[in-house]
Amino acid sequence: MVEKQRGAMRLAACDPAAHALGLTAGMALADARARVPDLAVFDHDPVADLNLLGWLADGCERYTPACMLDPPQGLLLDITGCEHVFGDAARLAKDVHARFSRHGLSCRIALGCTPDSAQAKARYAARAISDVPVEALDGGDKVHKALRRAGLRSIGDLAVRPRKPLAARFGKAVVVRLARLLEEEDPRITPRRSLPIIHIAQNFAEPISRTNDVLATIEMLAGGAALQLQERGQGGRRFEICLFRSDGHVARLAVDTGTPTRDAALLMRLIRERIDALSDPLDPGFGYDLIRLEVPIAEVLANVQVGLETKIDTDAAAAALIDRLSVRLGAERVRQFHARQSHIPERAALERVAQSDASKADWPKADWPKPVPGEPAMRPFRLFETPQPIEVTAGFPEGEPRSFRWRRHVHRVTRVEGPERISPEWWRHPRGYAPGNGSLTRDYYRVEDNEGRRFWLFRRGLYDEIERPLWYLHGIFA
Amino acid sequence: MNKKPNHIQPTLSAGAFPSVQGMWKQYQSDAAQSLLPTGAPYVDERLRGGITQAGLHEFFGGAKADSHAAAAFALLLAWRLPQSDAAIFWISGDKERQTSGRLYPYGLSAMGGDPARMLLVQTADLRDALRAAADAIRSKAASAVILETHGNARLVDLTSTRRLALAAAETGVLALLVRGDAVPMPSAARTRWRICSAPSAPLPGNAPGLPTFDISLLRHRGGTAPFAARVTWDHATRSFFDAPLSGGLSAIVTDTKTGPASRQRA
Repeated sequence: MVEKQRGAMRLAACDPAAHALGLTAGMALADARARVPDLAVFDHDPVADLNLLGWLADGCERYTPACMLDPPQGLLLDITGCEHVFGDAARLAKDVHARFSRHGLSCRIALGCTPDSAQAKARYAARAISDVPVEALDGGDKVHKALRRAGLRSIGDLAVRPRKPLAARFGKAVVVRLARLLEEEDPRITPRRSLPIIHIAQNFAEPISRTNDVLATIEMLAGGAALQLQERGQGGRRFEICLFRSDGHVARLAVDTGTPTRDAALLMRLIRERIDALSDPLDPGFGYDLIRLEVPIAEVLANVQVGLETKIDTDAAAAALIDRLSVRLGAERVRQFHARQSHIPERAALERVAQSDASKADWPKADWPKPVPGEPAMRPFRLFETPQPIEVTAGFPEGEPRSFRWRRHVHRVTRVEGPERISPEWWRHPRGYAPGNGSLTRDYYRVEDNEGRRFWLFRRGLYDEIERPLWYLHGIFA
Repeated sequence: MNKKPNHIQPTLSAGAFPSVQGMWKQYQSDAAQSLLPTGAPYVDERLRGGITQAGLHEFFGGAKADSHAAAAFALLLAWRLPQSDAAIFWISGDKERQTSGRLYPYGLSAMGGDPARMLLVQTADLRDALRAAADAIRSKAASAVILETHGNARLVDLTSTRRLALAAAETGVLALLVRGDAVPMPSAARTRWRICSAPSAPLPGNAPGLPTFDISLLRHRGGTAPFAARVTWDHATRSFFDAPLSGGLSAIVTDTKTGPASRQRA
């Protein structure tokens, strides 16, 4: 693998055979070629390396949810409390090794009480932390050289020395790192994904691949998760299913709910919807050997007394339906109206996602204007997102429209009311209060054509604002 | 050999289960009672009370630009339902929203509706829209479900409309299918209407007046003969009324040949 470093092509990584020939990473390509003329060289691709590492990390989440990347080539797993599934930590390590070698990857696994210690042991292939060279301190070349010159070659040499002179000579960071390496101080790792509140998994001796089996397992897990949620007095807002394929691939499915829930049956319906909505169906390959259900987000959900004469709760039914449609179609496709303070028609009314329950309280309850008896609606029931350009014959200047052409059809205007003048929001533009800086004033007309259709037209710009104002059709009245 | 298949004679009518039979009759009469009147006396008289609330109804626009009138009429009918908290679902596809714009809550409230009750579902295609509509009708959450489709869609056939109609009959949800500029095809809808915009009674200053429609009943499963009428929506009473006479035009067009249907042919 070669990479361009500071203008020269240098070796970025070598395989064992190249190591045996005396090549090392960091060597210039020209030097390497001089030694080994028939050297096979490939471009170094750090992004692909990182992707592979991420994929491996996904697969390693079968052991523990707390998994962290340690670029360029390391993975850190926090297996506290997880090793009992495999018997003990050594057997877990064996399982990791077996899975990696199945993919043709070589790996070194080390166990330590702190992530730093495990990382150093794995990196320098040491059995005990005292055998690890001082380079594991990550203090920079100067520090390492100075330590070596003082005869301190390994962490074991440093461990017996007093710390204070070390801190005075090399800085506090070195001492902190040393304490971590010596398992005196335990920094937690920062997992790639935030740890779920509840996670519950099922291992299989034989991989399963039939969809029904998978769904049955998920149902069982959902029941278990519901029990745990019940004990905590909580309901989940988000549920994630991780399907670990025996070849290391991981498929994740997430289901969001609008209100906290611990109803396993409801959850199963949502998951079925989610699986149906997948653009490419789940590929079980050689089967899943581990299925895990995680609840990353949960909220308080009090127990509800169900009475004999409880009427059908339309709110609950609506929430369930919204969840279902949101899961199937995407949350952004199920919406409700939302008002905003603005007098520009298209800015005054928005649509927001119906599912986001948490934010519902934040939204002010929309105060829609009440209709005036006897007066027709002054606003159309349908509005075009982008006003439709039309050709208009109108009185000059600033007269009413007489006829207009829209979508290749000429409408003769028989009735008209207007203009309703809507000025632009000048405060949105720099120096918008000065004439000519803001956007243009709109004159709105309510018109009815000879066939009885009612439209909302506007002329964008006054004649003293713009030379040739254009006309648009903005909405349609009932 | 000549014995008729058993299922043609319903076992319920054998009298062996009088209670079940009674329930069936009760159910039938209940279904007959839940009619939704339009409020316009002439129309309700012809419909013998109104349209079936627990059923599917189709609305076609007369000409291409009348698809908005069909949508508006369906929406106004949904507002005729007794006030409740149950949501009104408006389901449409990306294509429909692209061509005919979005619903505008200020206009809805100005016509007497409550925008807070509206739930908008926008689907990528018609298949999803039909499925979403079926789900919404089956759930207890909706009081009315309006599905808007444009053009002649092969998916909206006898099977899919029958699915919606059965679901609506089961849950009592008013299901409205706005077909826009489509050509009527066989369907399971209880009624089929053609809706066109009609000139309104002008306000002082020749301003456009209240929403007015030419409606014509094309088909009725209950056997009501086709008829046409002109109705106006009054948002204060949330009901339609027979459009007043204006300009020498009869408010009630009894002859369908000269009615709004003729405009479509033109």
